[in-house]
Amino acid sequence: MKVLDIALKDLRRFLRNYFFLGLGIGVPVLVGAIFYFAFGGLASDGRFNLPQIDVVVVNLDEPVAAYGNFSAGEMLADFLKSEELGGLLAVTESNSAATARAAVDRQEADVAIIIPADLSAAMFDPQGRAVIEVYHDPTLTIGPGIVKSIVTQFVDALTGSRIAASIAYAQLAKRGVTVDGTTIQNIAMRYGEWSASLAEGQGAGTLLTVRSPAGSKEQGNRLLAMIGGIMASMIIFYAFYAGAASALTILQEKEDGTLPRLSTTPTPMSAILGGKLIAVFALIIVQVSVLMAFSSLVFKTTWGAPGPMLLAIVGLVVLAGSFGIFVMSWLRDTRQAGIVLGGVMTVVGMVGISSVFTGTVPGAGGGIAATLPLFTPHGWALRAWRLAMDGGGIGDVLLPLVVMLALTAVFFSIGVLRFRKRLGGH
Amino acid sequence: MSDEKAIQVRDLHKYYGDVRAVQGVSFDVQAGEIFSLLGPNGAGKTTTISVISCLLRPTQGDVFVLGHSVTREPMAVKALIGVVPQEVALYEDLSARENLTFWGKMYGLRGKLLKQRVDEVLEVIGLADRQKGRVSKFSGGMKRRLNIGIALLHRPQVLILDEPTVGIDPQSRRSILDSVKELNRRGTTVLYTTHYMEEAQELSDHIAIIDHGKLIAQGTHTELVRIVGELHRIDLTLNVEATSVIERWRAVAGVHRVSAEGGRVTVLADDSNLVLPHLFEAATQAGARITSVEIQEPNLETVFLHLTGRALRD
Repeated sequence: MKVLDIALKDLRRFLRNYFFLGLGIGVPVLVGAIFYFAFGGLASDGRFNLPQIDVVVVNLDEPVAAYGNFSAGEMLADFLKSEELGGLLAVTESNSAATARAAVDRQEADVAIIIPADLSAAMFDPQGRAVIEVYHDPTLTIGPGIVKSIVTQFVDALTGSRIAASIAYAQLAKRGVTVDGTTIQNIAMRYGEWSASLAEGQGAGTLLTVRSPAGSKEQGNRLLAMIGGIMASMIIFYAFYAGAASALTILQEKEDGTLPRLSTTPTPMSAILGGKLIAVFALIIVQVSVLMAFSSLVFKTTWGAPGPMLLAIVGLVVLAGSFGIFVMSWLRDTRQAGIVLGGVMTVVGMVGISSVFTGTVPGAGGGIAATLPLFTPHGWALRAWRLAMDGGGIGDVLLPLVVMLALTAVFFSIGVLRFRKRLGGH
Repeated sequence: MSDEKAIQVRDLHKYYGDVRAVQGVSFDVQAGEIFSLLGPNGAGKTTTISVISCLLRPTQGDVFVLGHSVTREPMAVKALIGVVPQEVALYEDLSARENLTFWGKMYGLRGKLLKQRVDEVLEVIGLADRQKGRVSKFSGGMKRRLNIGIALLHRPQVLILDEPTVGIDPQSRRSILDSVKELNRRGTTVLYTTHYMEEAQELSDHIAIIDHGKLIAQGTHTELVRIVGELHRIDLTLNVEATSVIERWRAVAGVHRVSAEGGRVTVLADDSNLVLPHLFEAATQAGARITSVEIQEPNLETVFLHLTGRALRD
């Protein structure tokens, strides 16, 4: 009973601690929210809804008469105005580069695309070089980034077509066949179509995924999964932080005199330490529950099947708590805690969750980026969570869970033994 | 007061490596009395009561509280004692009531009895109207009162107070001393540590003087003062460092001890009327000037000075 009284007292104190609430719950929510708003929030159907990007296109390109009035600039302008990109880009046209840039400067447009006069000519000149200018509001990042990506991939496709046409022209010339400009243009166009269909078939072209941002459920799911992964990593990072911060109260209470005072009451040291350890785990459970519920409600995060996820949560709670107890047991006093919480825990945590930002699951191939996190307890926790979130079954999360429990046993035993030795008492 | 012994300290030793914090201390506290452990900072008072409170294990010797050994039956001892630590030990982010309720549970109180005791203590310490206020918002005196109140929740037979008046205003100090006397009047045995001679003198039935981890004298106030007989204590202030004068004063007939701290000198002498002219004369010869003189009848400070050669304030 006294064990629970001590645990409840600690929990109550933590939930009144604005610093902890801000850092343990507020910051992870804030990080998730930053990503959420960066992608424009969610549509009513739960998919991400990117804000429309205002684009001014200035097409100065001059068609090449020798090649059937081929105009690469017109192709690009038509592509940007296409129905497929209509949900993403709001395109207007202008005849003057200066006017377009001025519109961006006045924040009347997000991006100006200025197609040079010699774009088409450069296509058919082996030494040709033309530069498409993407002029954008420097305060914006995502919208211009998407536009740049679209333009770059369009130019890549044109370049591929140009190479294909050049090779075809050379091969035919070798065989003594003379072809006119229209034929060369057709070859280039056919190559472009083939290249696009190939990319579509492999699902590899990011251009294809951008074409219908409002209508593609797959794209929405990928973004949702990304936010889910980020939230999972935030939950894990701050769960370890909370474990260490709550274990720190053992040292804090010793310095405040309340722990020695507890030792003068008829309460065994095992109950005192036990109560404080329960509080550590209870606090992480509260923190993880709040963050998961928040992420589910606001970011529509899906956590996978309940069984595997429950095991991943249990693994995280016991490992984060034990790791905190272990780390804090090595500190002489709370003055050292700033370095440990701000430095060691942050560095270890960042390494542990780095795979979220490299797009890998820890330990699931992908070289050092996927392997390095497994040298931290955070990495194993994230592996279990990602496997559960990606639809893995109990069998899939079993290995990381066993590793987490083994690490827990080691950290907990060493931490508790060290604290017992240091606190002494009867 | 009865003949029953509430606390028996037997040949108590406590060492920290080479540091001998307590060396062979023995004393008895009678049930129902106020017993003061008097000594300067670092004398071993807190170490001694930490052993009695089961916070520290003795290196050698034992302590018995109402017949229970602190080494063999610590839980039984803890149930009988209430400890007021020197530093305020409270949860500042909890309210006064929440603090008392939590500590009451640690003393094994539950349900209605717990609520009743919490209400009683809040009245006793005068915080009933501030019971819901966060302790962090309390004044130093209010925290001190709550610090004491926690130790009273389970109505301990033995109350141990470790310098409870350090660093507080005179009004709060007066309140605490009156509370201790009232608790004792109701039958609680009190073990009180202090380095304030006046407190020990006002409160105590028996006093033990401790210095450098050793008990150097114990008895009632009267018995202790008798150790120095009729010696007078003369406190003098000089306009220069005392070193130039000390040796001359030690040579004056009738002077027993001279101790100095900066420009302030304490002299133990047979008769102040006879000695003072010679002290002035010796000071003049040394080129010093006496700027103030204070003469005191024999008291616990005089006893400590007589026994150790140092003032209690050191």
